[in-house]
Amino acid sequence: MASFVILNILIPWIFALCVYFFKKDIITNFLSFLLLPILAFLSFKIFYGNLPIYIHTSKFFDILMDIYDFGLLFFFLYVGIKHKNAYVTSLALLQITLLIIVLSILPSSSTANIYVDKLASFIYIIVALVGTPIIIYATKYMDYNEKNKHKFVAILLWFLGVMNFAVSVNNIEWFFALFETTTLASYALISFRKDKEAVNNGLLALWMNQIGGVAILIALMLMVKQNGYYYFTDILNHPKNVAIAALGFLSLSALVKGAQMPFQNWLLGAMVAPTPVSAILHSATMVKIAPYLILRIAPVIHNTLLAKLLIITTGFVFVSAAVIALTQDNFKRILAYSTISLLGLMMLTAAVGTPIAITASLILILFHAFAKGFLFIEAGILEKAFHVKYITQMKRLIEKAPLTMMFIFFGFLNMTFVPFGAFVGKWMMIEEASNFLTHGSYILLIVFVGAGSAFLSILYMKVLGISVRKAHGIENIKFIHLPKTFNFISFWYYLFLLSMAIFIAPLISNFIVSIAKHLTNYHINIYSSNLSLTINNSTLYFWQILGALIILTLIHILPYFVKFKADFVQPYNCGENHPKYLGTWDFECIKKYEPFLMAFSIALFIITVVLGGGLL
Amino acid sequence: MINLLITIFAPVLGGFVFGIERIIKARMQSRIGPPVLQPFYDFFKLMDKRAYIIHSLHALMGIMYFIAEWFTLAVLLLGNDLLIAVFFHVIAVLALVIGASSVRSPYSVLGGLRELMHMISYEPLMVLMAVSFYLITGSFDIKTILSFNGYPIFQMPLVFFAFLLVIPMMLQKSPFDIAEAHQEIIGGPEIEYSGPFYEAVYTGKWIEYIYVFTFVFLFGGNHYWLGILLVIFTFIFVNLLDNSTARLDYRKMVKFSWFVLIPLAVLNIILIAMWR
Repeated sequence: MASFVILNILIPWIFALCVYFFKKDIITNFLSFLLLPILAFLSFKIFYGNLPIYIHTSKFFDILMDIYDFGLLFFFLYVGIKHKNAYVTSLALLQITLLIIVLSILPSSSTANIYVDKLASFIYIIVALVGTPIIIYATKYMDYNEKNKHKFVAILLWFLGVMNFAVSVNNIEWFFALFETTTLASYALISFRKDKEAVNNGLLALWMNQIGGVAILIALMLMVKQNGYYYFTDILNHPKNVAIAALGFLSLSALVKGAQMPFQNWLLGAMVAPTPVSAILHSATMVKIAPYLILRIAPVIHNTLLAKLLIITTGFVFVSAAVIALTQDNFKRILAYSTISLLGLMMLTAAVGTPIAITASLILILFHAFAKGFLFIEAGILEKAFHVKYITQMKRLIEKAPLTMMFIFFGFLNMTFVPFGAFVGKWMMIEEASNFLTHGSYILLIVFVGAGSAFLSILYMKVLGISVRKAHGIENIKFIHLPKTFNFISFWYYLFLLSMAIFIAPLISNFIVSIAKHLTNYHINIYSSNLSLTINNSTLYFWQILGALIILTLIHILPYFVKFKADFVQPYNCGENHPKYLGTWDFECIKKYEPFLMAFSIALFIITVVLGGGLL
Repeated sequence: MINLLITIFAPVLGGFVFGIERIIKARMQSRIGPPVLQPFYDFFKLMDKRAYIIHSLHALMGIMYFIAEWFTLAVLLLGNDLLIAVFFHVIAVLALVIGASSVRSPYSVLGGLRELMHMISYEPLMVLMAVSFYLITGSFDIKTILSFNGYPIFQMPLVFFAFLLVIPMMLQKSPFDIAEAHQEIIGGPEIEYSGPFYEAVYTGKWIEYIYVFTFVFLFGGNHYWLGILLVIFTFIFVNLLDNSTARLDYRKMVKFSWFVLIPLAVLNIILIAMWR
């Protein structure tokens, strides 16, 4: 089984090397298609195999990793000096100093360096089923007047391997190396187009994520100083005497990686890169490290002040990112803000830490990965095939791009409506939190979840509203011929999301609950019978799931098929001329609150680390 | 059984409620008002009318709104979770808003957007209400709440008060009839519907009455007389408010809901949670 884990990490790297050196279309396309079944097979094999897997490595790899660490940090230093960026340079210097201190005090340990449990293999599955299709999509996307296709695909492939590696390490010092490697990957991808804006945004991503790296190093120092161990498994096995300050810094790095406000800018900056970058950063890799890290330490921080403060911070981000998203008019930016918002929700549920809350968090991770990957892919198609970037350009989209519009509609439905995963996650969280409303943070949690989901709903409805606007019926639908690859990937996601929604009850009670059980070692009161999902005493019946699904399916598909036999008239306009263009609200009035929201989130951040970490 | 009957006959029941409301409103204005069955007369008249539509998508969304609204009521009455019913209501709003914004009419589009403002005003409060029912009765199940031996209204008076003022937002009553605003945007989302399609939207609104008053009824616990009394009180109060106030701006509505009603409900929940 250990060989499967190693293959899961190495195969993307080998493929990346092949793609990089051969630079042939046929090899790139073939390998990216081949990767999908391989990774899917390996990840499911690992998931249903004997878990957990411990892999002991020789001392040699430790030294190799240290050398790699320094190489990476010196590369960051080089980048900082080359681009004259003070933040990158100083943070790289700080990291080098801290790393030297850490390495000098690091005791030797016999704990396995690689530890693969159900959570890690769950992320493998997401990487395989969500990440790989994005690479297949990228092979076609880069054909639309973009340069360096093969290099781009190679970086993406390598990134998948790094992600697989990052979630399977047990040694936090190794985790630091992998964490910084994903930072490097995001820098390379964001600045891929090499123009001024791209490089600036890449540097922004670089230094912001370096703060996360610094936080991990500080956490390591504290952990070694107080406990003498620095492995995830050791932390989980001795929950009582772990340095809470170290956990505070670890969660700080998670918040930075998860682009929580006030660090949201690096993820927003990622939109200057080719769209597959956004797709892969938002769905399968990179930002998912954030909820992963919180889930890792969730059993330890459960019910501590740190967890409660994390709930408030991330819940605040959940609401305020959704509010700020209302003021945006760039489609990819809207999607990015909704990712930030939902990442907040994922971390909130993970920080609550009860078995059902952890299940909710895993549900959100899974469904968000699929839905956001899907939406970004459609955004890329809109950009390349229909030249639509802003929601003001989305008018009459239902006629111009019927299939893409239908997919976007469905993606948005997935993000908030009954019976899809995002709804189930929120529902479970509210029901679970209702059981222990003894602390203010849990009451705030309910307000945050209720409010945030309402704001996200109106965001999606606003965007959908503008794209269905039409003066006359949808008579002349133009089915623009899209490349086969695009259609294949779109249908891949569409069918996955649809079938996951229908079989949501067995999916949760068999698949996801087993992971949560593995993480918490508690019995979880979630079961399904006849496709109905029961949580404690509440049931989401199958007729409700099916009814909602049918109504929503009719709403998003039927407009293309239904033609009423009736007399057509012009809309009533009180005798005035018909307006040429009807926009939508831009929520300008909210913009002036943005600095306050930012200031508040900075304050919450500091409070979380200082008070939650017990530094005072 | 009675739940099933109410669900099936919801449109008829809602029609009666609507008819009674028109009479009460008229009496408050010293008019005689239409007969109780007037909504049904309207129904038959509208069904008979020649249908003028803008385009099929728009007309279809009217019908989908009706179906979604009816299904939401079924989920509330036949399912066993209040929270799911609250989230289901968003689907009905979706159909209405997509329909409203699909036509190139400023009134309709503006109405659709204002409908969204209504939603952010009442949706979080509905969630809080469901949670406070859970805190008191120990269940989200409507049957358990209705067999709860106690008086939820006395334990959650602030939530009830907040809900009382949220009802005008849900049912489009003055001072919060902002999305419809007849004198201003001429009915908002429903302006472009006509004939049978208008009837679908109209009937959807009747069902919304049943949906909202079911929640009010729950505040009586297993004392059904109290529930009925509360429903009657709420009904008259909302109409009185409708008749005696002028329409507000949508910003004021959102601010009122977010800075007055939701904090009140939260305060009530804190008190309940501490009391236990």
